[in-house]
Amino acid sequence: MSKGKVPHQLMVLSVIAVAVIAGFFVMRAYLTPKSFGKYGHYRADAIDDVRNLPVSYAGVNVCASCHEEVFQKKAKGFHRGVTCEVCHGPAAAHAEDNSIKPEAPRQRGGCPLCHNYNPARPTGFPQIITAEHNPGKPCMTCHNPHDPVPPTTPEDCGVCHRSIAAQKLVSKHSSVECTTCHQVPKQHFVNPRLNRVGKPTNNEACGNCHGSDVKTQPQVPKVETAKHAGRYLCWECHYPHSPENTP
Amino acid sequence: MEPTLVLALLEPFNGYIYPNEYFLQWELLIVLYPYLTGLVAGAFILASLERVFHVKALLPVYRLALLSALAFLIAAPLPLMAHLGHPERALEMLVTPHTASAMAMFGFVYAWYLLVVLLLEIWFDYRADIVNLSNSKTGLMKYVYKILTLGATDLSPEALQFDEKAGRLITIIGIPSAFMLHGYVGFIFGSIKANPWWSSVLMPIVFLFSAIVSGMAAVLLIYMVASWARWKPIDMACVNKLAEFLLYAMLVDFTLEILDFIHRLYESEESIHILSQLISDRLFISLIISQVLIGGLLPLFGILVGRYGKFPDEMRKMFYFLVGILIQVGIFSMRWNVVIGGQMFSKSLRGLTTYKVHLMGIEGLLVSIGFLILPLAVLFVLLRLLPPWLNEKSEEKAIPVA
Repeated sequence: MSKGKVPHQLMVLSVIAVAVIAGFFVMRAYLTPKSFGKYGHYRADAIDDVRNLPVSYAGVNVCASCHEEVFQKKAKGFHRGVTCEVCHGPAAAHAEDNSIKPEAPRQRGGCPLCHNYNPARPTGFPQIITAEHNPGKPCMTCHNPHDPVPPTTPEDCGVCHRSIAAQKLVSKHSSVECTTCHQVPKQHFVNPRLNRVGKPTNNEACGNCHGSDVKTQPQVPKVETAKHAGRYLCWECHYPHSPENTP
Repeated sequence: MEPTLVLALLEPFNGYIYPNEYFLQWELLIVLYPYLTGLVAGAFILASLERVFHVKALLPVYRLALLSALAFLIAAPLPLMAHLGHPERALEMLVTPHTASAMAMFGFVYAWYLLVVLLLEIWFDYRADIVNLSNSKTGLMKYVYKILTLGATDLSPEALQFDEKAGRLITIIGIPSAFMLHGYVGFIFGSIKANPWWSSVLMPIVFLFSAIVSGMAAVLLIYMVASWARWKPIDMACVNKLAEFLLYAMLVDFTLEILDFIHRLYESEESIHILSQLISDRLFISLIISQVLIGGLLPLFGILVGRYGKFPDEMRKMFYFLVGILIQVGIFSMRWNVVIGGQMFSKSLRGLTTYKVHLMGIEGLLVSIGFLILPLAVLFVLLRLLPPWLNEKSEEKAIPVA
């Protein structure tokens, strides 16, 4: 290699680098969909692709136009927020041709999808343990899915508040009745959302058992409620449904 | 108590978790990815110590470190692509990159690091050897080496000098590139602001230093095993020096992690309660035992004793070897604790879920072990193709046997 000349390696690598970069742009031009970037950072044709997909769902208004009676009944019940096709499946074909019948989950499979016990579900949402709740019987035997009301008024709080009941059952508060702390109006069992239960508002509720001046069993922890809590409420530190899991 | 209720209570989570938090979305394959890229960055930084900072004692591992970095780099994105399920989609982020996506931009960092830094540096370093091999080999291998020369067969002193200069320049560019490569992995986790276990500015730096530790330890192990396999003596000056650098890197890494921990405790955000539960309950074995004790303090102590204690060389080697393995355990645990730990607590900060490794399946243990063995197989092929010890013979000849 003479001085002043571009090194051979550099020339070879430059050619390869140009080839790689050019190859990249050729590949990019070839692989980028034509409609990409027309509206945003996506393939504009995707919108047409989605629009051309066959329509499966009819929509609740189409259902209501023929099944007015059922629709009105459902609109007043607890399932008013659940549209028809959630349980009956996509019904566009049925709306076009009455001889095609939509599915109806008459067995036990459908309802537990929402009503099987799961601690992540909101408290107060009716939940059952399917294996134990009238095993083998289709849900429809007792509950009308278009107006689901329990056949008998629940007596146990855990029927709806399963997660809290489960926690309390293995806690030191297992023998304490819910009504010891909560004031439960009778109508709460029938129409829970309009008849809320009362919750304790001050530390006396806990002090009734845990106050140092109260005569309860010796193993119940005692504190001077006024001094111990100060301006705080007991349940800001102690979770009453599982008191041992809090500091 | 009702038996079914007991079963319900024994479900693998406690407290309150959202329905989409039952199952972890990122599993073992995602743990492998930061672990493998860490080895790349660490091995490269080790190589740069010799090339840029002229730590001559590390010359015996220089080429080995480069080839190890290449082998791990080739294998690193494979777990991600396997996790995607649609590996071909990985190319889409190169074709239509979005500048606001860290993952898309990383495709270019990776390409830069592979094509411009590692391959070029290895090519410049090996060019003279490749040209010689293309002349001395016969059969198919002759043509393989001829292709590898890329036609640049000039072995004049000026050309060799240019190789040396170019290699050095690339290494200088390579150091920040290696920092970017692994800093990015920490960046991805550190920038997820909804997750208090991940969201930390220190994350890229902690990842980087743990990468340096794991990469150095991996090269130490590979060098020792390769020497034993070749029935060659281990260069004690080299492994001693390596152990010293490893010690410094471990000290920095450990300090950074402790700093991160103390900072979280001091900051005491609303997540601190669930995070302390996470550590004391779900991550106790993998974090306290495996990462901090077995993979952190024990090797730190081991390398201190092994390097500065008065032992015969054979004993020292055993110390280094064990320390190397323990460090791998520790750094793998660290990746595990970040990736898996970050998904084990609910974003409601009120509950914990669990994760159980499956044996089979694409995210299973067997596939993951395969992805861990794969870079070693790639390295084996690379070592056969471009033996790092080509210069060794001439050096051995030059040193008179006592």
